[in-house]
Amino acid sequence: MVSRTSARRPFKPRSLVRPVVLLLLTALVLYPLLWMLGTSFKAPEEILNNVSVWPQSWTPANYPDGWTHFDVGFGRYFLNSFLVAVLTVVANCTSCLLAAYAFARLRFRLRGLWFAVMIGTLLLPSHVLIVPQFVMFRSFGWVGGPWPYLPLIVPHLLATDAFFVFLMVQFMRGIPRELDDAAKIDGCGAYSIFRYVVLPLSRPALVSTAIFSFIWTWNDFFRQLVYLSDLEKYTAPVALTLFIDSTGQSAVGPMFAMSVLSLAPVFLFFVAFQRLLVEGINTTGLKG
Amino acid sequence: MTAPRLFRGLMAAAIALPLALLGACGGDDDSSNSGKTELTFFWWGGEARAKLTEQALALYTQKHPGVTFKTTWQANQGYFDKLATLTAGDGAPDIFQIDDNYLAEYATRNVTEDLTKYQDSGKLDVTKFPESLWKYGVVGDKLAGLAMGENTQGLVFNKTKLEAAGQELPKTGMSWADFITWAQRAGAATGTAGTMDPSADYKAFWVWLRQNGKDFYTGNQLGFAKEDVQKWFELWKGARDAKATPTADVIHEGNATDITKQLVVTGKALTSWVWANQMPDIQKNTKDELGVVAYPGDPSAQWARASMYLSVYRGSKHKDAAVDVLNFLANDPEAGKILGTDRGLPSNLDIRTSVASSTSDPSMKASIALEDELVSKFGPAPTVPPKGHATVKTELIKAAEAAQFGTADPAKAAEQFRTAAQAAISR
Amino acid sequence: MSNVAVSTRPPEPRPRSGPAAHQRRGRPTRHRDDGRAGYVFLTPWLLGFAAITAIPMLMSLYLSFTNYDILTPWSDVEWIGLKNYERMFGDDPAYWHAVKVTLIFAFIATPLKLGAALGVALLLNRSFRGSGLFRGLFYLPSLLGGSVALAMVWHSLFDRGGSVNAVLGWFGVEGRAWVNDPDTALGTLILLAVWQFGAPMVIFLAGLKQVPTELYEAAEVDGAGNLRRFLSVTLPMLSPVIFFNLVLETIHGFQGFTSAFVLSGGTGGPVDSTLMYTLYLYIRGFANYEMGYASAMAWVFLITIGLVTVVLFRTGRFWVHYSDGDD
Repeated sequence: MVSRTSARRPFKPRSLVRPVVLLLLTALVLYPLLWMLGTSFKAPEEILNNVSVWPQSWTPANYPDGWTHFDVGFGRYFLNSFLVAVLTVVANCTSCLLAAYAFARLRFRLRGLWFAVMIGTLLLPSHVLIVPQFVMFRSFGWVGGPWPYLPLIVPHLLATDAFFVFLMVQFMRGIPRELDDAAKIDGCGAYSIFRYVVLPLSRPALVSTAIFSFIWTWNDFFRQLVYLSDLEKYTAPVALTLFIDSTGQSAVGPMFAMSVLSLAPVFLFFVAFQRLLVEGINTTGLKG
Repeated sequence: MTAPRLFRGLMAAAIALPLALLGACGGDDDSSNSGKTELTFFWWGGEARAKLTEQALALYTQKHPGVTFKTTWQANQGYFDKLATLTAGDGAPDIFQIDDNYLAEYATRNVTEDLTKYQDSGKLDVTKFPESLWKYGVVGDKLAGLAMGENTQGLVFNKTKLEAAGQELPKTGMSWADFITWAQRAGAATGTAGTMDPSADYKAFWVWLRQNGKDFYTGNQLGFAKEDVQKWFELWKGARDAKATPTADVIHEGNATDITKQLVVTGKALTSWVWANQMPDIQKNTKDELGVVAYPGDPSAQWARASMYLSVYRGSKHKDAAVDVLNFLANDPEAGKILGTDRGLPSNLDIRTSVASSTSDPSMKASIALEDELVSKFGPAPTVPPKGHATVKTELIKAAEAAQFGTADPAKAAEQFRTAAQAAISR
Repeated sequence: MSNVAVSTRPPEPRPRSGPAAHQRRGRPTRHRDDGRAGYVFLTPWLLGFAAITAIPMLMSLYLSFTNYDILTPWSDVEWIGLKNYERMFGDDPAYWHAVKVTLIFAFIATPLKLGAALGVALLLNRSFRGSGLFRGLFYLPSLLGGSVALAMVWHSLFDRGGSVNAVLGWFGVEGRAWVNDPDTALGTLILLAVWQFGAPMVIFLAGLKQVPTELYEAAEVDGAGNLRRFLSVTLPMLSPVIFFNLVLETIHGFQGFTSAFVLSGGTGGPVDSTLMYTLYLYIRGFANYEMGYASAMAWVFLITIGLVTVVLFRTGRFWVHYSDGDD
């Protein structure tokens, strides 16, 4: 593709459009983030009064202060978040892939009904499920146990994230069915087709799922708040809210510093994984 | 009625069956073997409160080695959501912190243990509390929460800016009209709006009502008429028109209860309407020096409010132990010394005196001075706000903002609020 | 429908070298009776649905006919029939206000967000130096989710003295307090949603990668220009993914909670201007302890959005092109 664009060198003004548009867009999109970065270096009373990006007095101490603000170092919260996020990624990628394959590729009775039910589970606002779910998980004995992350992870093992099932179904339906038919002629059953045709071609879907699972888990606040009750077991988003008690003490500077830091792992995770997304399918199956 | 009943029966079965099956393997077995008791304790607050509370609890464990604590703390955000969810799952903590916005909600639904019998038997000692303070924990005829601190309404002002502009400082006892005139003048002189518009603030409205011979609530009823609300809204419409307050959008920012959003902190007004004990935390967020006085009008309309309570969960398996901890935190001199004024002025007057004399933080001193000044003037405390109060509060903000932005005139906004408030408390 | 797959070659017949175990079970008749396999693959989801999703959903349906208030034990919950539903439709002006706010939000924010996502995805689709970094940068805003920091950022930008007004000032336009003004607060919320276009963008990118390059080459041989290539190759090949994003973002648009919650401090203010449906539902359930009512709201929501989704699926038949030849 690169060669194609370079073959068109003569059209100079047009080749400038893309970089200029990109830069403008980037500036627009990044400004709020730069503001956040700048603010993380402001002194507390300045944060509340100074709206410019640039701090008047540089306060890098927000970072060490934030890191050691609680009895438990902030690194611990990142680790906890990372643990929950990675397990969720693995669980989602496995369980949702299996379900998606069934929905997208296999014919079985009641498939349409189950698919509709699956989409239906996406539609109920989650806030009314929090209490019943909590009651249920508690009756399972999962709440307040020695490993409090059970209620946060087990549901993902069972493909309850319909979003990802649907995502993968849509991707799989983009894989030509002729491939299956060819494989069937070669004597493959549903399992072999899954293993040798669909799985390798599902990389973009899997990578997207991984990216989203990771990031959403990293940002999820409410469920983690409800199920985690031990300062040492808190995750980063829960810990971030500890900085500001709206009725009293607040540590705005450290909060901003840790917010910026908590973006770093997700950003790196994304930049690393999007490569897989880009290489995607072109190099694997189709071109042979 | 038969069809719904059938449906209902089916639904109930669908839910009850799995729960019954699951219930068998669930539940928390509090392994209280060998006389060891572990109490769960949940509060909101910041890091400083956490340190002090842990320290006080450690002292308790030191004195009572059989009792240990499993503490959970978090910021105010999401605290009551979590507490409600825990309660729904029969997993509320043995001891939890609560405030007067929610005490009645929990007490009328019997979530909190009635502490009266402990008070009668002397296991819970409130004899050193001001009477109106511990009574502010009574809902119906049950003692639902133990006041862990006292505060009262406080008008915080920016001393630095006022003095720089050669303006006089607000004083306790100014009339409302005088105060608004003062704010107008001070605003013109300093270039910063004179006062936050408190028309959305239930505690300011409440004080004003009491000064006018009314009340926010009388028992479980609203203690004011639509006309009172209208007069209140009109008072502040006048102030806004006279430029004594900032514009509606700025007022909206200040209507958030967060300390960091108070206009005296963000520098958008010279005065903010808060609780006196928040003064030190407010001071930490601004470089300017602050002062505090009572709300305008006759200060005897103010009362000693419990800044927060500790309650014991009715379903707790260790109620006696939990009550003993409450008693310890409120009355033990050493514990009192550790906890200081973090949850408000200590309820126990002996402890209050010793803590007050040893404090060095000037803003805390100012806050204590105000309470000391008012304590002799305080009127009788009203009853704890009834169930539905949290909704009433937000409805007042909604209506007042409609008046502030001019989407409704004071009469219409007042009507809207009165109706919504009535609906909220009669649910 | 142009049949794409004809031009692609099937992969090496690798299964031959695979474990013979799979073939032992008798070759599947060429026709579609993967019934058993279907349920085998579906087992985790079915288990999850039965054990984890269905029970709370049914509970909430049940609760929607009760006066459940969270704090009262389940055993004392009172059945009140259709009262919650009657109140919602007949006796709650704030409810209809929330419906209106949500419709405005969903109908404006969803297309804008999808448009931004598709546009940027097309720009970033080709590999160039630093393209990965750009993708990351554009994705960053979505990472902020609903943090307190985000709310402060947005307020600082769109307040009266904020950066947006400073920029407007260069052009002689006098701004207003966008976030704190009931007339424009919802607009800032929509901008926030559009700003966080990273999620659909990533899905578009992944979808674009799935378009076989041969098709572009074939189109180029036919002399198709950029626009023609986009219309006749990219759009049809991308349609399943566009469809997915459309369905999901529509659902998200209607469910928009986090940003409204964070920006308004959980109130839906100023003067209810950002009172989204789910935010109102949350306030009813958790601040007012009217969980029965909130549950009823949730089920009305489910049915309404369910209908919208059905309509989307129906119309999807006319423009979504699946390479697998199914409908």
